[in-house]
Amino acid sequence: MTDLILLAPELILVGAALTLILTARHVRRAQPAAVVALVAAVGAAGFGVTVPLQEFAVAFEGIIVRDGYARFFNVVFTANLALVTLLSVRHLNAERVRPAEYHALLLLATTGMMLAGSAVDVLILYLGLELMTLCSYFLVGITRDNPMSNEAAIKYFLLGSFASAVLLYGIALVYGATGATDFAAISAAVSLGQSPLLLAGVALVIGGLGFKIAAAPFHAWAPDAYQGASPPVAAFLAAGSKAAGLAALVRLCLSGFGPEPGMWRGILVALAVLSMTIGSLLAVSQSDMKRLLAYSSIAHAGYALLGLIAGTPEGASATMIYAFIYAFMTLGAFGVLIGLGERAEQLTGFQGLAKTDPRASGFMFLFLLSLTGIPPTAGFAAKFAVILAAVRAGYVALAVVAVLCSVVSAYFYMRVAVLMYMRDPEGEPPQRFPIAVLAALAVAALVTVAGGIFPGGFDGWAAGP
Amino acid sequence: MSAYPILSVITFLPLAGAAVILLTGQRPARWIALVTTVATLGLSMPLYQAFDKSSGAMQFAESRPWIPAWSVVYGMGVDGISLPFIFLSVVLCVLCVAASWTAIQERPREFYSALLVAETAMIGLFAATNLFLFYVFWEIMIVPMFLLIGVWGGAARIFAAFKFLLFTLAGSLLMLVGLVGLLHTTGTLDFQALTTGTKLNPQLQAWLFIAFTAAFAVKVPMFPVHTWLPDAHTEAPTAGSVILAGILLKMGGYGLLRVALPILPDAVQLFLKPMLALSIIAIVYGAYVTLAQTDVKRLIAYSSISHMGFVTLGIFTLNRAGVEGAILQMINHGIITGALFLCVGMIYERTHTREIADYGGLSKAAPVYSTLLALFCLAAAGFPGLNAFVGEFLIIGGAFRTWAWLGALAVFGVLLGTTYLLWLYYRVVLGELNPGLRGLRLELNAREVITLAPLIFLVLLLGLYPESVLGYLRASVANLLEGR
Repeated sequence: MTDLILLAPELILVGAALTLILTARHVRRAQPAAVVALVAAVGAAGFGVTVPLQEFAVAFEGIIVRDGYARFFNVVFTANLALVTLLSVRHLNAERVRPAEYHALLLLATTGMMLAGSAVDVLILYLGLELMTLCSYFLVGITRDNPMSNEAAIKYFLLGSFASAVLLYGIALVYGATGATDFAAISAAVSLGQSPLLLAGVALVIGGLGFKIAAAPFHAWAPDAYQGASPPVAAFLAAGSKAAGLAALVRLCLSGFGPEPGMWRGILVALAVLSMTIGSLLAVSQSDMKRLLAYSSIAHAGYALLGLIAGTPEGASATMIYAFIYAFMTLGAFGVLIGLGERAEQLTGFQGLAKTDPRASGFMFLFLLSLTGIPPTAGFAAKFAVILAAVRAGYVALAVVAVLCSVVSAYFYMRVAVLMYMRDPEGEPPQRFPIAVLAALAVAALVTVAGGIFPGGFDGWAAGP
Repeated sequence: MSAYPILSVITFLPLAGAAVILLTGQRPARWIALVTTVATLGLSMPLYQAFDKSSGAMQFAESRPWIPAWSVVYGMGVDGISLPFIFLSVVLCVLCVAASWTAIQERPREFYSALLVAETAMIGLFAATNLFLFYVFWEIMIVPMFLLIGVWGGAARIFAAFKFLLFTLAGSLLMLVGLVGLLHTTGTLDFQALTTGTKLNPQLQAWLFIAFTAAFAVKVPMFPVHTWLPDAHTEAPTAGSVILAGILLKMGGYGLLRVALPILPDAVQLFLKPMLALSIIAIVYGAYVTLAQTDVKRLIAYSSISHMGFVTLGIFTLNRAGVEGAILQMINHGIITGALFLCVGMIYERTHTREIADYGGLSKAAPVYSTLLALFCLAAAGFPGLNAFVGEFLIIGGAFRTWAWLGALAVFGVLLGTTYLLWLYYRVVLGELNPGLRGLRLELNAREVITLAPLIFLVLLLGLYPESVLGYLRASVANLLEGR
C-alpha cells in the first residue's frame, strides 16, 4: 500500500490518461480534455510536493525512489505538462487532432518522465524513458494530414529506436560487467574495478541518454522532429524530453557510476563541447523558428551537462536548476510562437512585432534574453550556476567554451529581437493570443524573472540524488 | 549612516519610472521620463552634500544577503571614485530626455523606458560594492543600449547595434569567467574583502586580469577592440550617443580602477608596459584617424578613442596625479563629448546631414550655437581654464613621472587633438554660409540652450575650480594606491 501511495503522482496521471482514452469518442473539443490534463498535472504535482519525504522512500523493493531529487523533477515534468496543455488548445481545435488521445499521450509521456526521474534501477529507467519516447513518436506524428509531421515522426522513430537499442545494449553490457541492474549494486561493483565491458556499456548508455537530451552528436533528430511536429509538441519535447534525459543521466552517473567518475566524465565533456558549439553555430543560419529553437536546445543540453561533469553535489544541483529554468524559458519562447500562429514558423514572421503586438514581443524578448543568459533573467542564474560548478571542479577551459558559445548564441537570439524591434511589420497583423496561451506565457515569464532575481530560491530544494 | 537606502532608491527609481511609462502610453512618456530623471537627480543631491571627503571608505553603504549559495551580497555604497560618476550619470540622463524631446517621434514609450532602464544600470553599476552586482548591472546596460542604437539609430543602425552587442558581450562574458574564477578562489565577491584579503598568486592574477580587462578594454574602448565605437556612436540617436560616450565608456575605466588595480596588483605590474603602449597607440592613432573623418559624429566618436587613451594612460601610470587625472578626464570627457553630441544632434535635427562638407558658415546663421560649439571644442582641445585641461595636465604630469617619453607622446596627442577640433570648427562654423543651409532656422531654441546650460556651467566650474571634483577623489585615490 505504501508503495502505491509513493507512486500516487504517476497513478493520478495514468488514471487521467485512462479516463480520457475511455471517453475519447465523446470528447470533440480540446477544452474538456485540457481541463482533465491540467487537473491531473496539478494533482500530481501537489501530491508529490505535499506528501512528506521519508528518509528512504523506496517503493517496489528498491526500483523506485521518492526522494527530493525525484520530487524536484516531478515538478518540472508536471509544469511542462500543464503549460503544454495550455499551449495546445487552439492547435488541437484548428488542426482537428483528437484531443482525448492527444492529452492521454501527453499524460503517459509525463508518467514515463516521472518514472525515469525516480528510477534507481536501469531497467525501470529504460522503461520510463521508452514510455516517454513511444508517446512522443505518436505526438510528433499526430497531425495525420500533414506530410511534414509524418516525415518527422518517421525520422524521429527510426533514430529514436536506434538510440533505444543502443541504450538497451549498454544496459546489457553494464549488467554483464556488474551483474546488477539496481544503482546501488552497480555502484558497489564499479568501485571494485573496471573492465572494458563496463566501459563500453557506460559509453553506450550515455550515448542512448544523449539522444534523449538531444546532445550532439546524437542531436540529428531534434531539428527535423521539432520542425515537423506541431509547435506545442515541439515545446513538450524540448522542455520535457531534455529534463527527463538529464534526470536519468544525472542520477545514473552520480549514484550508479558514481565511484568512478573517470568512466563517464570524458564522454560527457565531449558531448558538452560538441553540443554547445554545434548547437550555437548551426542555429546561426536557421530561418525556421522551430529549427532555430531546436539548435538552441542542443546548445542548452551542452550547458546543462557542465554541472554534471563537475560531478559535485553542487554541480548536480546546478544541472537540475538548468533543466528547470530551461524548461520554462523554452516553453515561453515556443508559447509566443504558438500564440502568433503559422506566421511565426519562419523567422520573418516576427518582423515588426514590437509595433503590431508589443506585449508578444515583450514576452519574446524576455525569453530570448534569458536563453542568451543576460542578467537579471533566470537563464543567467542557471548559466552562472553551471559555470561556477565547472570552474570549481577545475574545468576552466570548458567554461570558456561555454561563454564563447554564448556570444555566438547572442547573435541568433538577438537576430529575432532585431526583427521584432528594428524592422517594420509586413503582411497581416498577428492574430490575438488565446487566454490559455497568455496564461502559460505569464507563468513562464514569472519564473524567468523571479528565478533570475532570487536564484537563492532553489537552495535546499534542488538537491542532487 | 541612516537607514534610508538612498543608493537603492536612486538606482531603482528610474526602473520604476520605466515601468510606469510602459503601463501608460506613448503621449505622457516624455513627461514621465523627465519627472523621473529630475527626481533622481534631486534625490541624489544629499549624496554629494553628506559625503565625507576626508574618508576613502564606502559611504551610504547598504548590505543585504542575496544569494547565499554563491555568497553573493546585495551591497551598495559610494566612495570618492564612484560618486562623480553617479553625478555625471544622473545629470546626463536629464539632458538626454531634454535632447530627445522633439527628436524622438517614433515609439517614445519604448524609447524613454529603455533610457530609464539604462539609467538604473548606470547608477547601479557605479554604486555596487559587490562584483556580482556590478556584473549584473554591466550586462543589463547592454540591452537598452542595443535597442536605443538599433531602433532609433541612423541608416546603418542594425549593423552598428549588432557590432556593439557582440563586442561588448564577448568581453563581458569573459569577465563572467573571471568573476567565477575569483569567486571560486576567494569565496567572496565583495570589493572591500577582495582588496584587503590575501593576495592571489601572480599567475592566477594574470589570467584574471586578461579576463576582466577584455571586458573593460572593449568598453573603454582600448586599441585594438575599439572598432565598434565609431559605428555605434555614429548610428545611435543623440541621447544614445551621449550615454555611450558619456557613461558607457567610463564603465570600462571605472572597472579598471575598481577591479584591476586593487584586486590584481601583480598582474597590473606584469601588463603595465603593454597597457601603456596600447594607451599611447589609442591616443595618437585615434587622433590621426579623427583627422581623416568627414562625418561630424564619426569625428567625435574617433576623438573619444583618443581621449579615452588618456584615461587608460593615466590609470596605468599608477601614481596619484595620473589616476586622479584619469578620473577627472573621464568626467570631463563625459561632459564635453556629451555636449558635442548634443550640439551635433541639435543641428542634425534641422539639416538632416552629418557630412562636414554640407556645413560651413554657421556663425552667420546661428551665432549662439557657434559660440557654444566654440566653447565645447576649445574645452575638448584642452584649453586652459576649461575643464579638460586639468585632467590632461595631471595625466601628462603623471606620465612624465613614469617615463618621460610617454609624456612626450601624450603631448603630441594633445596637439593633434587641438588640430582636428579647430579644423572641425573652422569647416563647420567659419567661412561663408553653405548654400545648402540657406532658409533653414539654424539657431538654437530656448529648450536647447537650457539643455546645454548645465554642461556649460560644468565646463567652466571644473575648469576654474577642479577641486570641486578632485576634493572628492583625493582620499579614495590615496586609498586605492596605498592599498596596493
